[in-house]
Amino acid sequence: MAKTLISGNKAIAQAAFDAGCDCYFSYPITPQTAIGEYLSEIMPKANRGYVCAESEIASINMVIGAASTGEKAMTSSSSCAISLMQEGLSYAVGDQLPLVLISVMRAGPGLGYIYPSQCDYDQAVTGGGNGDYRIPVLAPSTVQECVDLTHRAFYLSQKYRNPVIVLSDGLLGQMMEPAEFVKYPYPEIDTSKWALTGAKGRAPRKIRSLEINEEKHNQNLQHIFDKYAQMEREEVLFEEHNVEDAEVLLVAFGTMGRNIKAAMNLARQKGLKVGTFRPITLFPFPNKRLSEIADKTKKIIVAEMNMGQMIKDVKVAVNGKADVVHIGRPAGAWLDETEILEAVEKELGGKYAASI
Amino acid sequence: MEQSIIIAGFGGQGVLSAGIILANAFMLNDKHVTWYPCYGAEMRGGAVNCEIVVSDVEVTSIHKKENDILIALNDLSFEKFLPRLKKGGTVIANSSLIEEKKPRTDINYIFAKISDTARDIGNIKAANMAALGILSTICGFAKISSIKEAVSNVLPEKIKELNYNVLEAGTKLANE
Amino acid sequence: MQQVFKLPDCIKKDAKFTFCPGCDHGVALRLLGDAIDECGVREDTIAALCVGCSVFLYDFYDIDCLECPHGRATAEATGIKRARPDKFVFTYQGDGDFAAIGFAESIYTATRGEKVTSICINNTTYGMTGGQMGPTTLLGQVTTTTPFGRSAELNGYPMKIAEHIALCDGTAFSARVSLDSVANIIKAKQAIKKACEVQIKGLGFGFVEILSSCPTNWKMTPQEAHRHIREKMIPVFPLGVFKDVTKG
Repeated sequence: MAKTLISGNKAIAQAAFDAGCDCYFSYPITPQTAIGEYLSEIMPKANRGYVCAESEIASINMVIGAASTGEKAMTSSSSCAISLMQEGLSYAVGDQLPLVLISVMRAGPGLGYIYPSQCDYDQAVTGGGNGDYRIPVLAPSTVQECVDLTHRAFYLSQKYRNPVIVLSDGLLGQMMEPAEFVKYPYPEIDTSKWALTGAKGRAPRKIRSLEINEEKHNQNLQHIFDKYAQMEREEVLFEEHNVEDAEVLLVAFGTMGRNIKAAMNLARQKGLKVGTFRPITLFPFPNKRLSEIADKTKKIIVAEMNMGQMIKDVKVAVNGKADVVHIGRPAGAWLDETEILEAVEKELGGKYAASI
Repeated sequence: MEQSIIIAGFGGQGVLSAGIILANAFMLNDKHVTWYPCYGAEMRGGAVNCEIVVSDVEVTSIHKKENDILIALNDLSFEKFLPRLKKGGTVIANSSLIEEKKPRTDINYIFAKISDTARDIGNIKAANMAALGILSTICGFAKISSIKEAVSNVLPEKIKELNYNVLEAGTKLANE
Repeated sequence: MQQVFKLPDCIKKDAKFTFCPGCDHGVALRLLGDAIDECGVREDTIAALCVGCSVFLYDFYDIDCLECPHGRATAEATGIKRARPDKFVFTYQGDGDFAAIGFAESIYTATRGEKVTSICINNTTYGMTGGQMGPTTLLGQVTTTTPFGRSAELNGYPMKIAEHIALCDGTAFSARVSLDSVANIIKAKQAIKKACEVQIKGLGFGFVEILSSCPTNWKMTPQEAHRHIREKMIPVFPLGVFKDVTKG
């Protein structure tokens, strides 16, 4: 299959279309607007739902409405506008509705700016809505992964009847790379047992999070957490390189996952034993594998374009078995391989001084 | 082997589209490539640049501190990006708009009347093609045949001919 | 023997309304149920619900229902309708849900001309939370958050919802009705049915604002409450059809 040179944003839009997204609703915000522009052309032509909503509050709720009918639905947005969607996400979890949210991070807090940043790891992974809930988060690092993980997001959201976030960033959204658009092996999930389609020849259905019976409410929430436990068993994804002999492990997600590989290549040329680890699912987090690696590798550097968010999950995963330090910057010029290499050399102290 | 190329100028000079054509050409040669844009809030007339990284293997970092080649289409971008060139790097400078001076001694300079060439052939907006023509003579990754194929894939039919012509003229500018 | 009363098929046979005695919600739901039955769309209906006194609507109605965040029902209805244009979609909201927290969604749903129907119960107060000032609270009306009566200077003016909705080009039908008398209830029924029909015909957004009593929070008997609607509310919120695209 021929490759197409395409931006991360447009790749996500095309992948969503290919995955059978039936409705897309959103409000413009840089740096993700290209997703909506792309879909505004192809969705109506294919007789699928598209609305340029009046706000992100409206768009996430439109998605909830469409999802309640069993159709695949998606919205996309950025940072401060995803703050507006937190209520809707919480409802979608409580209502057990499958939907896909594309989050293309800009730099915050507040309006911030459109510099590339990874400052919304916490917003995606721990969320800002009310209630005790989780949302699976998939973090692509290449345009090809934007395609792959968008397909996967639709599948997971339907399989678990839970929202799924694809966490991209302004750099990945706007950069272009060759990507292939192929068929994916995900099975279609049957939604006919719960979707609202009109009570024809069957009892009426209600989709709700409200439950006044305390015991029943607890059971409902326990069921949601059973799904999360299943995700932790079945859906963890990560990429690792040279961990077997690594004295220092570099950990990063998304686009920074590329730069730690560049830094590892530089370090290996210098004879430094460096490996890389990139969680692809930020929830469920690859706790088990990181814990195994930390049995041997005692120094871990978490590189993030923020001031320390994923590092908390890494620390929980290794549970004190390794030293975990952070290298980061809140926004702007991407941490490049030379800066990461400097951090590696600092961690290794005087040991390699002769070779540096 | 990996090379990074910056194309910079002001909005309307075809900076981003030149980068996209170049990235397409690299893709057609089965290279790994990334294209990353940077522009201001202005839609037209503001500073704009893009960075293309091409490699035989997976492109890890997209945004380099140092670059191999700079295509500067106006004086502001010449001044801004010259310090980012690697030692031994090359700048292709549009001397239609840039004064021919050499503030660094550790890099190579190609000054060429890029805008004038495009204007003389038919449209100043095709200046970006003259720049790619020059690039094809110094960058081993950028074969002229692939750039032509990329032009054919990316640009609308009615302006292809003009762009081919300016591209061809560009390949000769480098030798002048 | 002639049958003089029949519950709409829409309403569950074992439904027990949770509304306070004398409240008009039950009448409004009955009228809407009749309208849906008469349009023959019960089995193709999906409702987007509100947060407020009618939050338990799914316990009363024999139809598919989606719970929505407070104020967002019209956005949900938009999503449902865009996903399933073949379904009959309605929202049933209070004045706070429709015209305060959810007004942006409501007015844009009308502006887009979404083929959905919205019923808004205007009882000039937040009933479920115990009688606070809402968007339609009358000037001078005492509520738990306007202990000295609503003052225009402090609290602004009551909102004329049906008139606002009628101004939207996407609105096919907008009316204000009242449940204070039998005559008005009959007119209310006609308006509600019309608001359903314009959706089914694909003409645009159908809307009815219903002046409705809240004896509990108004601290009145049901009879006093209906007199209050006639004497105090209707002069501020005139009844009538503000837009009807089916009439030239």
